[in-house]
Amino acid sequence: MRPIVALVALCSLLGAAPVSGPSTAPESTLRYPTASVTDLGVTKVLSENDAGAAVSGLQIFVAAGLDRETPSTGGISALVAESILRTPIDGVPLRDAIAASGGSLSYTVDGRSVHYYLEGRTEHLGALVSLFARAFSAPDFSVATIGAARAALATRQKEFEKNALSVGIQMFRQTYYATSAGGPALGNVSTLAGLGTKDAVAFYGATYRRAGVMASVVGVVTPELGDALKALSAGLSDGPVVAVQERAHAIPAEAPRIVAHREIPAPWVVVGYAAPAPGSRDFGAMLVLEALLSDAFQRSSTTTLGFVEKPIGAVYLYDSTPASLVVYVNGTQVDPSLALREVVVVAHSLSIKPLGAPALRQFKTAAEGQFISDSVNLSDRAYLLGTFASQGLGDDAINAAMAALDRTTAADVQRVAKNYLQRYIVALVLPRQSPSP
Amino acid sequence: MLGAFLVIACVGGGSPAPAATGDLPDLGPGVTVGHLPSGGTVIVRPAQGAPVAAIELWYRAPSTGFGAKPVPATARLAAQIVAASRPIVGDSLGKAVSAAGGRLAISVYADSVAISAVVPAAAARQIVKVLTTAFFAPVMTEDGYRDAVRDVVQESQISAYDPETVARDAVFGELFTGGPQHFPSLGDPKGIAAISLADARSYATRAFRSQNATLVVSGAVDPDIASAAVAGRSGDDPSAGPEAPAAAEVAATVEPVTKAFGEEAGSYGWVGPGIASPREATAMDFIADYLFRSDEGIVSREVDDKYPEALMLGQFITLHDPGVMFVVYSGSNTAALRALVDNGFATAQKAMDPAAFASALGAFKYHLLSDLQTPTQIADNFGWYSVEGAAEYAPGANGDAGTYFKTADSLTPDFVAAVAQKYFGKTPVVVTLQPVVKESVKTQ
Repeated sequence: MRPIVALVALCSLLGAAPVSGPSTAPESTLRYPTASVTDLGVTKVLSENDAGAAVSGLQIFVAAGLDRETPSTGGISALVAESILRTPIDGVPLRDAIAASGGSLSYTVDGRSVHYYLEGRTEHLGALVSLFARAFSAPDFSVATIGAARAALATRQKEFEKNALSVGIQMFRQTYYATSAGGPALGNVSTLAGLGTKDAVAFYGATYRRAGVMASVVGVVTPELGDALKALSAGLSDGPVVAVQERAHAIPAEAPRIVAHREIPAPWVVVGYAAPAPGSRDFGAMLVLEALLSDAFQRSSTTTLGFVEKPIGAVYLYDSTPASLVVYVNGTQVDPSLALREVVVVAHSLSIKPLGAPALRQFKTAAEGQFISDSVNLSDRAYLLGTFASQGLGDDAINAAMAALDRTTAADVQRVAKNYLQRYIVALVLPRQSPSP
Repeated sequence: MLGAFLVIACVGGGSPAPAATGDLPDLGPGVTVGHLPSGGTVIVRPAQGAPVAAIELWYRAPSTGFGAKPVPATARLAAQIVAASRPIVGDSLGKAVSAAGGRLAISVYADSVAISAVVPAAAARQIVKVLTTAFFAPVMTEDGYRDAVRDVVQESQISAYDPETVARDAVFGELFTGGPQHFPSLGDPKGIAAISLADARSYATRAFRSQNATLVVSGAVDPDIASAAVAGRSGDDPSAGPEAPAAAEVAATVEPVTKAFGEEAGSYGWVGPGIASPREATAMDFIADYLFRSDEGIVSREVDDKYPEALMLGQFITLHDPGVMFVVYSGSNTAALRALVDNGFATAQKAMDPAAFASALGAFKYHLLSDLQTPTQIADNFGWYSVEGAAEYAPGANGDAGTYFKTADSLTPDFVAAVAQKYFGKTPVVVTLQPVVKESVKTQ
């Protein structure tokens, strides 16, 4: 096997000034395979066909995300998902049964959904879905399984707390969202301790319904896979899924600061902004701003910088409604106070003056490259297809996102910077006993 | 100051590279293999999916230079200078890839170098041209040298905090008594800064010539994209071959190594079969997957359950001769982690139950295919196995019907156990990294 080597060398997309002269922008429109939709009764399946793909990936979205938790049931979404993965199938936990059958299974809890990712050889994926459906429609919420799931989540939550960036983003989300959509994805030790079989049964019963499930596939949809998805859908109960209120607090003009301390060597700063949803006309412009803020402050390097070498980065979070954008500063790489001021100044400048044509072209190319580079593997593509489609980008959702980016104008970027980037929340994650920057 | 002015000719006509014949490997339907205009090999593997292209140049070249005295980081610095230097016309490679919205990386191994660009597919043809122009006739400027030294020094400083890099360098340093395998491929900042532009230029002129190159392009590209590659220097002899692999100098005996490091970590290393023993090498891959596959290997799962904060990586590195089984772990309880690793290797030396073996082999083959789902993964694989001299053995060559998968299908529980006993029965290099060196049998 060839060695696995971390990408350590990195380069910035942007220097201090926009590059002039001949552009290397792509000369033709970039497109993913056109997505198609199959209606399996109530459940909808979107798919991008990669002809001849040896491996295919499937995301199953359930409207059972953080926005359906309450303050007293924080972590219930993850607890149910974790229990499903641990549900015995012929005496073997589901996840192990799928691994032994030549596939893989994982899940992610986000603001609007919990999504399960199943991957396997294309010809086996239908059988893997059938295995999954057995646990999905009849999960084991016994005391023993819930206990093991709770312990696993508590351990992972403990690890999460050691990651300064994750902590900073979580602090922002909890302040920004007016609903439980901003809660910690895995819950916290105190709420998890109070959750048991009864809570899992109630949450599952209210959310794991046919009407709240959709799926997206990248690779090849075989007839067996289609049949297995139909059966999976049929195994769930009927009935409506209650709509949830999606709300965020208005961000005050005075830029509130929230502070936490952790055992870290240097401070991290997370600046959080409101952001447009993917279905909004502002989506493309926010993708441009994400790329611009992500790379505008990089040190010069010929090769592309990896995460640990980036002093400043940006992440557009569209998993929750409303969406948000965070810009983070890694204090091990750069003076956080100075970087914070620069971020604020750049955001202000973008709102008062439109980008020139060469700069717009450059930033759009960078945004396009970043979007594509982050959307290459089966898991990411299937996730984006499903999450974009569910937020108003249509069935051919990834291509719609690319088109939104392509038609973005300088006026769009200026308008979006003005509407979204002038108010922000600052989350500071500081080393213990360190003065605030 | 500009380097030597070299004449570069662009290959015109847009005709596809010739199909695999004669000395060229057969990598299966849909994969075009041909000769570069001035010598060297080109592999093009179009794929449906994301509109992205992976464009990689691979070279057989020692990381420590061609001179009698090994100088770590020679290859890394030379490649970085080439990528950073602005030619007479146009931008540097680094800027060109960046301006196309792409990402550029340079990876250096003991005896090979890979320059990799991932770009939106519509820019692929242009980047093939820019990449081959930059490397087949390298222009290396003073400015490029200055920028490259800065970048590589920073990379070296950061890698000094990476337990995997530090442990791997220590393992290879002990397993091999000489040759590029004995030395770290990056070296320390002082050593990097001591490499002159003239030395780097001399290295690049020999290492980066077209005849020594394998150009691999994968993704949403036309099969004829190889026609965008330029020829090499005007004086190049197309019949000149690639560099020979560096001779490995394997240590007759190994001793434990203890090094100071910021956190506690440990590592194991054994020499294993070379690429000329594909069945044994495949068995070692299978063992590594069974024990250490992230989230799924039996050791990895146990570590996840008991020590979720711990790092545990294990893999068999297939090399020309010999390969190396390498494991590294770090966490709050390295003694317990080491016990889990020991237990895993002991398990591997016993023949598995046939049903469990069949299941593990099925999972292994799925993992191989899953790890070949992006253009970068495909290009990395073809590039790596090409420079190691066994392109047709690359997983993914001929899909799942090629040499690698057939070899995997030939594995049996008894054979795998026998291979494990043969190689893991020997004394491994054991590396201990610790914050304060208390006691060491041998300190590097």
